[in-house]
Amino acid sequence: MALLEARNLTKYFGGLAAVNRVDITVNAGEIVGLIGPNGAGKTTCFNLLSGFLPPTAGSITFNGEALVGLKPHHIVKRGLVRTFQLTTLFLDMTVLTNVLLGLHLSSQRGFGRVLLSLRSFPREEITRTHEVLEFTGLAPYADELAKNLPHGRQRTLGIAMALAARPLLLLLDEPVTGMNLDESQQVMNLVKTIRDRGTTVLLVEHNMKAVMGTCERIVVLNFGEKLTEGTPSEVGSNRAVIEAYLGSGGEHA
Amino acid sequence: MKSKIGIAVVLLVVVVLALFLPNFGGRYYTQIFVQVLINIMLAASLRPSLLCGQLNIGHSAFMAIGAYASALLAKNLGLPFELSLLFGGALSAAVGLIMGYPSLRLRGVYFAMVTVSFVEVIRLIAQLWVSLTRGMSGLSGIPKPSLLGMVLTTKASQYYLALGLLVIILLILYRLEYSRLGLIWKSIGMADNLSQSLGINVANYKLLAFTLGCFFAGVAGAYYASFFRFLFPPEFSFLLSVNILVYNFVGGRGHFIGPIVGAAFLTLLVEPFRGSAYETIFFSIAMLLTILFLPGGLITLPGKLAGLWSGSTGSAPATSAAT
Ligand SMILES: Nc1ncnc2c1ncn2[C@@H]1O[C@H](COP(=O)(O)OP(=O)(O)OP(=O)(O)O)[C@@H](O)[C@H]1O
Ligand SMILES: [Mg+2]
Repeated sequence: MALLEARNLTKYFGGLAAVNRVDITVNAGEIVGLIGPNGAGKTTCFNLLSGFLPPTAGSITFNGEALVGLKPHHIVKRGLVRTFQLTTLFLDMTVLTNVLLGLHLSSQRGFGRVLLSLRSFPREEITRTHEVLEFTGLAPYADELAKNLPHGRQRTLGIAMALAARPLLLLLDEPVTGMNLDESQQVMNLVKTIRDRGTTVLLVEHNMKAVMGTCERIVVLNFGEKLTEGTPSEVGSNRAVIEAYLGSGGEHA
Repeated sequence: MKSKIGIAVVLLVVVVLALFLPNFGGRYYTQIFVQVLINIMLAASLRPSLLCGQLNIGHSAFMAIGAYASALLAKNLGLPFELSLLFGGALSAAVGLIMGYPSLRLRGVYFAMVTVSFVEVIRLIAQLWVSLTRGMSGLSGIPKPSLLGMVLTTKASQYYLALGLLVIILLILYRLEYSRLGLIWKSIGMADNLSQSLGINVANYKLLAFTLGCFFAGVAGAYYASFFRFLFPPEFSFLLSVNILVYNFVGGRGHFIGPIVGAAFLTLLVEPFRGSAYETIFFSIAMLLTILFLPGGLITLPGKLAGLWSGSTGSAPATSAAT
């Protein structure tokens, strides 16, 4: 059964169709890639799916429920969690607190509970945070301020926070940008492990090697429209895809 | 370890000073010290809003609401001080909730501009609703503060009332800042889109911070009314709001004590020029100097001095990343 089903997804910014009648289906347990040249509308798709922007038209069904019209914080609670293309962290907080926030905010705590509780976190939340840090390889950095981490670790922390929110579907926007070969290999392995543990992944990435080696299915966008869709080898040998990338002078990795 | 002892000593000195201040000098000085306490209430209660990253320049409007509401309740209906104080705060909070709700979606300068308009609207109402507020003649004859039916007649006893009130307000605000709620406010201030992506209802938490600030600004206003016993619309101008913001910046936004230090320091320093055109110039200069030389505010001064003292070998100055 499809975990996520977006139909006819459309977003206009003024006269510009940033996303135009795009269908995306993600099945539970898959790693799906969303690729396309710069400005193709990938991030905009993520913003629509996660409720950060309202679509101009189209429907989104997640886990059997319609998402259009829900606020981002409602969508997170249903298990759809996104990361950001630009490194976005609570820079002046420790790595541990960053992940704790990711965990805490999605836990089913009402406003009232938040008002009454002290900062000291319940033991099970601390335990879970350490698990996430261990799992993502960030444990040695637990007490560092997020702003003092090297770039690669900062990107990983973004993923760790999203993971702490216990997603059913994780939307990763360019997780390995600016990473060296080694680091990006590690993160891609992490993505596979995340999937093996039961979280479905939709991934935007320009690094073709990373995408081809990780995704089982790839959706290609160009100028806001879906160009094609298929397995990595199908997409990789598709003329239209190659032209789209060459035409825009896009990066081949 | 050393710094803990230092903090304890400073705290002790502050407490002893605060307790004995009314014994120094006469009424004039007591009045200045009360002004310091009121300004600390105002500055500290703006902090939750600032933690959420909101440039709130509307605080004097809510002080005015609390001041006028409590004064009128006490004067016209004979309500005891405690009740009129709470009603003043509650009305401020209610108005804050109503005005804040539609404006909290705005960011940065746009939000700041709306809050400035709050100030002008409230000031105009105080000025034009003459039958209720006496308008530009000013509202006089406001009853003195009382506690459990006992009227506090001396300025010294009223000072202690303000001190007690301030301690309660600071304890509440401190407790909130260092709770999960405070952590969430800070997370919103650092990256609101990230907070949102992790499940935070950003609008609600911003509104809570804003409304809470309005409540305490109203309480401060209510006390102000009972102490000075005269309300005049221009007192609650945009400039006062700016000053409250400046207390926070000059004191430092990185810690709870920032606005306390800023309000105390600037109120005392500016006292000789109060009400004159120099006051504004003075605040502008204080703000400018802080931005240029102490971006973290006065609270970072001891650390910087200690750094200069120990690291005179000329290690690179710590570059604090712009937030
Ligand atoms: N908030 C916005 N307002 C106006 N135009 C926007 C907005 N966000 C994106 N756009 C435009 O929509 C188009 C798609 O942008 P989007 O960020 O989705 O591309 P992308 O595929 O993520 O590109 P990249 O690979 O560079 O990240 C671009 O032309 C962009 O300029
Ligand atoms: Mg993008």
